[in-house]
Amino acid sequence: MLAPALAFVLGVIAYPLATALWFSLTSVQIGGAGHFVGLANYSFLFGLGTYGDAVRDTVVYTAGSTALKAVFGLLLAFSLARPFPGRRIVYAVLFLPFIFPADMGAVAWYYLLSNVHGGINYLIQRDVAWLGTGPLAMASLITVNVWHGTALFTVLVLAALRSVPGNLVDAAVIDGARWYQRFLRIVLPYLVPGLALAALLSVLGTFGDFVFVYLITGGGPANSTSIVGTMAFEVGLLNGDLGLASAISFSVIPVYLIGLVYLLRLVAGR
Amino acid sequence: MSLLARLAAGSLLTAFLVFSLAPFLWMVAASLKPGDEQLIFGNPWWAASPDWSNYTKLLVSPLFLRWAGNTALVLLGTLAISLGASILAAYALAHRRVPQARLLVVALFATYLLPSGLLWLPMIKVVQALGLADSPLALVVTYPGLIIPFATWVLWNFFKDLPPDLVEQARLEGAGDLRILARVLLPVALPVLAAVALFGIAITFNDYLYGLAFLSAPGAQTLISEVAHTSVDINDAGFTFAAILLGVAPVAVSCAFFADTYAKGLGTGVID
Repeated sequence: MLAPALAFVLGVIAYPLATALWFSLTSVQIGGAGHFVGLANYSFLFGLGTYGDAVRDTVVYTAGSTALKAVFGLLLAFSLARPFPGRRIVYAVLFLPFIFPADMGAVAWYYLLSNVHGGINYLIQRDVAWLGTGPLAMASLITVNVWHGTALFTVLVLAALRSVPGNLVDAAVIDGARWYQRFLRIVLPYLVPGLALAALLSVLGTFGDFVFVYLITGGGPANSTSIVGTMAFEVGLLNGDLGLASAISFSVIPVYLIGLVYLLRLVAGR
Repeated sequence: MSLLARLAAGSLLTAFLVFSLAPFLWMVAASLKPGDEQLIFGNPWWAASPDWSNYTKLLVSPLFLRWAGNTALVLLGTLAISLGASILAAYALAHRRVPQARLLVVALFATYLLPSGLLWLPMIKVVQALGLADSPLALVVTYPGLIIPFATWVLWNFFKDLPPDLVEQARLEGAGDLRILARVLLPVALPVLAAVALFGIAITFNDYLYGLAFLSAPGAQTLISEVAHTSVDINDAGFTFAAILLGVAPVAVSCAFFADTYAKGLGTGVID
């Protein structure tokens, strides 16, 4: 009964993972065999200026998006915690960007941000090149990421809020605790697992992102928003250098391993 | 809540509501304008004289029907395989003697965080070896590999916490594994199955990389991977957005109403 599940996991995860690791140690090209080169791909990579830039941009993109998503997600969850007319529809609309196909959202945002008759410039009646300079392009990407991913924080914090025992809060009110004391001492500890899970999924998802950056800026202008995911794609599929591309992908494995340890502690910590 | 807090919450919700909806409003306007009109003149947020030709073109377009069929095949195939395989695996791990069952569950669970950026390059070779290059079936064999680990974790958590008597009783009455699953466990597991299905839909809908890497022939595309190929063709933006809104939006909007179910599944083992 375990066979089908194991077959898929071995075929789609274990085998490709092992192959990617092996590729990263060889000089294999698309349509051509390679040979073992040891850690040459990695040492080449770590000396490469564009790779250093890509890592830095990935960190900025991940940290910026995750921090904003956490703040907005937390505030939205509290705003949605009590019933009000239309809550069901408001909640669904807020969740929609997360469940809607990401590439379709990315294409819409590409047109909204365009400086040629783009939706945003039309609204503000200005001619801003949102994707034309490095900092603005990065800010735009973070905005799109926040649009897509805030709901993950909202729904997980809301789920965590339900685990706060109401009688605890009531007791604190009777004891005369102020609202911030109630929040910090009573509510927040119950929210930590939900927030931590959302943050973990957001960090790993954004760190490995491809779709938003590739479709909206393509890593530009002048490589200023190139992240690890788009760089691996360009080197691998467009330049055909599978060995180097695999090394780029594999170089982020420490982030995944830290995330994994953290997740397992979250699960075991209950 | 004080009036001030209520006001702040209301403003924040309104602002985020507009932010969340803006790209969809724009898409609707774009889909109601012929050709590349959207990108040249008029208000990009509004179709003053709605033109439905993009939609009527879709309904007779062999390519759109092909893409819609491929999308349905990928989505339903992925969900059927993922649910089937993880139900069996979770049942075996929870209710049959499997050596090191807990370790196996955790090992499975650990793989679900793996970034797809690591796997797509070698997966191209796997897909070619299976003879599925340029077939939507390439996605039907790939997505379950990404969904099963987490789905098994969620279902295992649910199955193992059910009263053991439930399964024991049925077993004493001579029921086999499949019968126990179908008659005893699955009927009480419906909300969990819904959560797992939503997780699978989110994985399928949020993938872009695998579709881009595996499919290039026009007839092999799904509606979701198709965007990758036509987004650069700005002469037909209206048609593309009509295809998105007609083909995928209904599924996405229906799923959006189950945010709590999704969160409950995602929080399995972490949030009580």
